[in-house]
Amino acid sequence: MAVSRRAFVESLMGGSRGPRPGAAWISARGHEAFVGEFGQQAEPPAQQGQGRRGGRGRAMVRLSSNENPLGPSAVAIAAIEKAYSYAGRYPTNPVPSVNDMRTLIAGKHGLEMANVALGAGSGETLDAAAKAFTSPTKGLVTAIPSYESPTREVRRMNHPITEVPVDVAGKLDLEKMIAASTGAGLVFVCNPNNPTATVHGREPIADMVQRISAASPDTVILVDEAYHDYVTDPSYTSAIPLIPQYPNLVISRTFSKAHGMAGLRLGFGIGQPAVIERLSGWMMVPFNANALAVAAAYASLEDEAGLARETARNTAARQFTLDFFRNAGFEATDSQTNFIFVKLGRPAREFREGCAEQGIAVGRDFAPMEKEWARVSIGTQEEMDKAVAVFKTVLNV
Amino acid sequence: MAISRRAFLTTAGIGGAVAGGYYLSGGRLLGPWTRDPSQTMAAVANGARLLLHNNENPLGPGARAIEAMQAVLTDTTWPAARYGLPTGELTEALAGMYQCETQNILLGCGSTQILRSATHAFTSPTRPLLLSAASYEECPAMARVMGTTVEYVPITSAMFMDLEALAARAKGAGLVFVCNPNNPTATVLSRTAMDTFVEAVLAASPDTTILLDEAYHEYVTDPDYGTQYDIALKNPRVIVSRTFSKAYGMAGLRLGYAIGMPETLRAMRSVQFGMGANVLALKAAVAALGEPERITAEAARNTAVRQYTMDWFSQHGFEPTDSQCNFIFVNIGRPATEFREGCATHGVMVGRDFPPFEKTHTRVSIGTMEEMQKATAVFADVLGVTQAASAA
Repeated sequence: MAVSRRAFVESLMGGSRGPRPGAAWISARGHEAFVGEFGQQAEPPAQQGQGRRGGRGRAMVRLSSNENPLGPSAVAIAAIEKAYSYAGRYPTNPVPSVNDMRTLIAGKHGLEMANVALGAGSGETLDAAAKAFTSPTKGLVTAIPSYESPTREVRRMNHPITEVPVDVAGKLDLEKMIAASTGAGLVFVCNPNNPTATVHGREPIADMVQRISAASPDTVILVDEAYHDYVTDPSYTSAIPLIPQYPNLVISRTFSKAHGMAGLRLGFGIGQPAVIERLSGWMMVPFNANALAVAAAYASLEDEAGLARETARNTAARQFTLDFFRNAGFEATDSQTNFIFVKLGRPAREFREGCAEQGIAVGRDFAPMEKEWARVSIGTQEEMDKAVAVFKTVLNV
Repeated sequence: MAISRRAFLTTAGIGGAVAGGYYLSGGRLLGPWTRDPSQTMAAVANGARLLLHNNENPLGPGARAIEAMQAVLTDTTWPAARYGLPTGELTEALAGMYQCETQNILLGCGSTQILRSATHAFTSPTRPLLLSAASYEECPAMARVMGTTVEYVPITSAMFMDLEALAARAKGAGLVFVCNPNNPTATVLSRTAMDTFVEAVLAASPDTTILLDEAYHEYVTDPDYGTQYDIALKNPRVIVSRTFSKAYGMAGLRLGYAIGMPETLRAMRSVQFGMGANVLALKAAVAALGEPERITAEAARNTAVRQYTMDWFSQHGFEPTDSQCNFIFVNIGRPATEFREGCATHGVMVGRDFPPFEKTHTRVSIGTMEEMQKATAVFADVLGVTQAASAA
């Protein structure tokens, strides 16, 4: 089976841009990247029928895709169990319906249903934004490294791309991004940024939105707040409160991270109704959000205590992991997410392969920093205890 | 032509509420029930409201599908929280079912995504979309976003798709969309007629792609009908779409797929968002494919209730088309809006407007026998006929 899958993957890439991946490339990049880039049908040979086994046959600890290691909350699971009875109905029909979900989300921010477009994960929002807002003459401005989804889609369409390197602290270089934005179709601002884990506070983001909107009023600004719930920096707040002032501002959020629902596929974009309508045209609304994910997310969003427990758990495990690397002499960025970005002074690939051999999966390469930096997702404390023991042997500390 | 026919739909825009309905981006109309969702399911739960407006399977997914989903939720490696979606299990099961390779299957977030991806991949501002009026409106919704011209061919007076007229108009089209059986007219065309049609289109316009939507395949009882997936497996210009939303009872889970040649599906895959299918749906679908007898039973159940419903309308002087689906399309001689609003006041939701038939025809989905017995009592009241006659 692996052979035919590899052939399939290679045939998949024929005629498209970019590298032609072999099996080694796929396992090196990891499943998250593979699925994102090559479509949901293709599965990397390394993951076939595996039950997540690492080298030497042990269970793999997945610290590679910034997932919530505890899964959906108990209230979310209970909501899904209740929702089976209407799984035969389109998601417009049950309670909560897709419109109930939109209304709940909007209401949390003093907005209305028309401000919200649900997506099959925030990934659909990002993909749609690339399609809706860029053109052969109006390109994308993004950071590098940053989340690659918009870049990938804009590249496929052959629209212009400006990639602005992050600064020495691993933070988005907002001044250079602002300067590059005049005349752009879309500016992608991942805040906190994946993979560098850093965040910008409310003031610099508000300033950026104001200056781009003034200098280039047709440019759409997409702020991806996938990791919003994990931020602890007190200078940060969401950009959602800026929406009433800026017609071309969209914020994306997801239930894949702190809410633990990556496999259930639900996220959303929020902005003024006109820009959300433009975005929605390229999304599968209202039939993109499945009824079970909606039920789960509705319950999870109302479970504020559960979310607080998850973020506190992440903060503690993150600090433990950061402390390990820093105490061992490795520089890490100021993580505000459920992963850390750390300077190992050796290729990420070497570290990744060493860890994989001992049952720990860590993040893929993030060019142009892949020669020295690695991304490690935060699992449970127990998983991080195991992982740190492995990191010690791989890094010889 | 038909762009203007549908143009009024887009004027309200997303979030726009209008009398009797609700317009989404792309111009699709949802019924008024979506304006009071808090009432909908609660009312259904106590038997007050019947959902006969979206061609759903009233029984939902089977026990094995639900068990498969429950297993995902109790797996302590938390697949529900992971990005590694088990798409391979489903494509392999489907490849086994159709005796093809996994490369011949493309999964989508419902067949919605398949229809949109085909429109995206194969039409453009210079390569129109061609389809029947009335037919399923997902492809036109995508086409309008892209600036693709949408060309419509009227349904014949006998309420069938006009294959000859479609073939005659196909030259230069990017995509010809054929829904067989057709939603909303409920009629099906024979395998012979469809084969002749495919040959005629490709002879006249070799670069045109034909998308054959077989969403209601499992419900067809006409022996002259035949699925055309075998053609899709060997002709790069032909795609068949299928869904788990109808007979499989999983409309809420969002899963469908295309069958076609790898090069054709590759063009669609390259433009479509790759993470649209969720882990619960994928696992439920694999379980459901292992239980084909449930689909046979569902089709038989639907056929009996469909016959009951068609007979009721016929006996009261209202002519339905020869339904091969889980809904009927019936000439009630009055505006669909009037009938729909009348039924809604009695808690029965029926289909939206389907231009150009909205002044005379309505679409009614087939629920359970118990639901349809309740519904026909309401229909009698709304249509002003005596219910006694239906007992005859």
